[in-house]
Amino acid sequence: MTPRARTVARRVVVVGVVAVQLAFIARGYWADHKQFAFQPFPEASTWRAEIVRVTTDGRRIPIDRPWAGYRWEELVTDRGLRYPGIRHHADTGLDNQLAFLDSALDWVAENTQRDRETRYLEARVTAWHNDDPPRERTFRSAEREGGG
Amino acid sequence: MMVARFDELLARPVSMRALALLRVLAGPVVLLHLEPFLSDALDGETYRDSFYEPYASWYPEPPEAVYIGLLCLAVIAATAMSLGLLTRAATATTFALVAYNVFLSTTHYQSNRAYLIIVLAVLALAPCGRELSLDAWIRRRRGRPALDPSAPGWPLWLLRFECAAVYGASGLSKLVDPDWFGGFVTWKRVADARDDLEAWPLPDWAISALTDADFHAVAAKFVVFTELFIALGLWWRGSRYAAVWVAVIFHLSIEASASVQVFSVLAIAVLLIWTVPSTRDRVLRIDPASARQRRFGAAVGALDWLARFRVEPAAPGAPIEVDDRDGTVLRGAPAVALALSRLPLTAWFALPALLLPFVRSARRAGRPGIGAPAPASGRVGGR
Repeated sequence: MTPRARTVARRVVVVGVVAVQLAFIARGYWADHKQFAFQPFPEASTWRAEIVRVTTDGRRIPIDRPWAGYRWEELVTDRGLRYPGIRHHADTGLDNQLAFLDSALDWVAENTQRDRETRYLEARVTAWHNDDPPRERTFRSAEREGGG
Repeated sequence: MMVARFDELLARPVSMRALALLRVLAGPVVLLHLEPFLSDALDGETYRDSFYEPYASWYPEPPEAVYIGLLCLAVIAATAMSLGLLTRAATATTFALVAYNVFLSTTHYQSNRAYLIIVLAVLALAPCGRELSLDAWIRRRRGRPALDPSAPGWPLWLLRFECAAVYGASGLSKLVDPDWFGGFVTWKRVADARDDLEAWPLPDWAISALTDADFHAVAAKFVVFTELFIALGLWWRGSRYAAVWVAVIFHLSIEASASVQVFSVLAIAVLLIWTVPSTRDRVLRIDPASARQRRFGAAVGALDWLARFRVEPAAPGAPIEVDDRDGTVLRGAPAVALALSRLPLTAWFALPALLLPFVRSARRAGRPGIGAPAPASGRVGGR
């Protein structure tokens, strides 16, 4: 590499890294997942969810009952989602927490092949953003192909 | 003109000593970071056994046995990085494996892990294995000349930017959030954890204060301005020592009150990069005939991991003397305080001593032109 190319390469790398870092920090103000935004302890928000399996015949069965050899707390062990029925802090912010919950519903729907009766999973979430009044939201997994 | 000055700054040769020491310390931090992944793996559990979420469908996911093998390889690489054995390859491997593992799933992401990836990336880019390493020792044993321990400073400046960005981003996000700045967030978190708080050996008045909303209305602002002070104060020589000192307390209090994985140890270790990137540009003079001074010289030699001092003999009967980088000459207790304030392990304890009136007046009196001789050597690549 010529000295000139080396100089330009250094400049590009440093300016590029600084620009990307600043972009990540800015992105943290609107994105659910705030990678490289460095916003620790963002909220005192709390949440809880009643999650049910909706079966092909329309029954709504809470996921705190084991099904087809599965247990929610063994399938979803991370990100504070293990016991969704208990009111928890949203450690990395409410949006982030609920984005993970939404993804977890999809993951469970896709990775419970022995379950032949569930059409989809549904979470009714009650969320308290800091000291705001509670808000209700509903999340659904994708429809399961094997359901029924 | 501006671009030329910028290029000169990036290319300026500076000592890589601080990055070399950070590399040594980063190894154990990586091992701590890997511990939960390895512990699960040894229990037969990997990330694929429960909910995870890939960032992209094309991101390669290895079979379980290969994944566990990669974790073990990361342990070996981190150990080699820390020891400085095949340093460049070991550091690059550690960075690649840690980053690969974190980016396997959105659920693996934590701010402390992002910071660790950034630090490892910089260490992989910087030639920081030329000292404090087995590579350097092996080179010496083979009779080959030591490699130049200085290199273009841009990786160091980049890591300084990232370090300040971590504090700045955190402080700014809290500053612009009325719930945070007003104290609600910290008050609610503490009030909800009151049962845990009461299990601590704290007097009732302390628990009452900590769960009082008015206290948090003030404390939250203190936290925000502390973070912003660290982010900005690190950049100026006049405030840098104070910023580092405050940052250490800040991290220790976070560590005591929250679960932040490797963040505290990593962030404290990274503070080393704010030392002036030049070495052996201070002189510690000791009287070899004095057992006390010999012991002090030996202690400084053993703890001077950032290579701040050259230790030279003083005239018989002379007190301990330090020639600072700017030519200031100190003798006796002020010299001891200054020396201890420049060693990584003792700096936090000794820095407040520099504010004592007799030390301040000794430093004023010892400045060049006021009675002390001019420095023998100037600053090297100083910033």
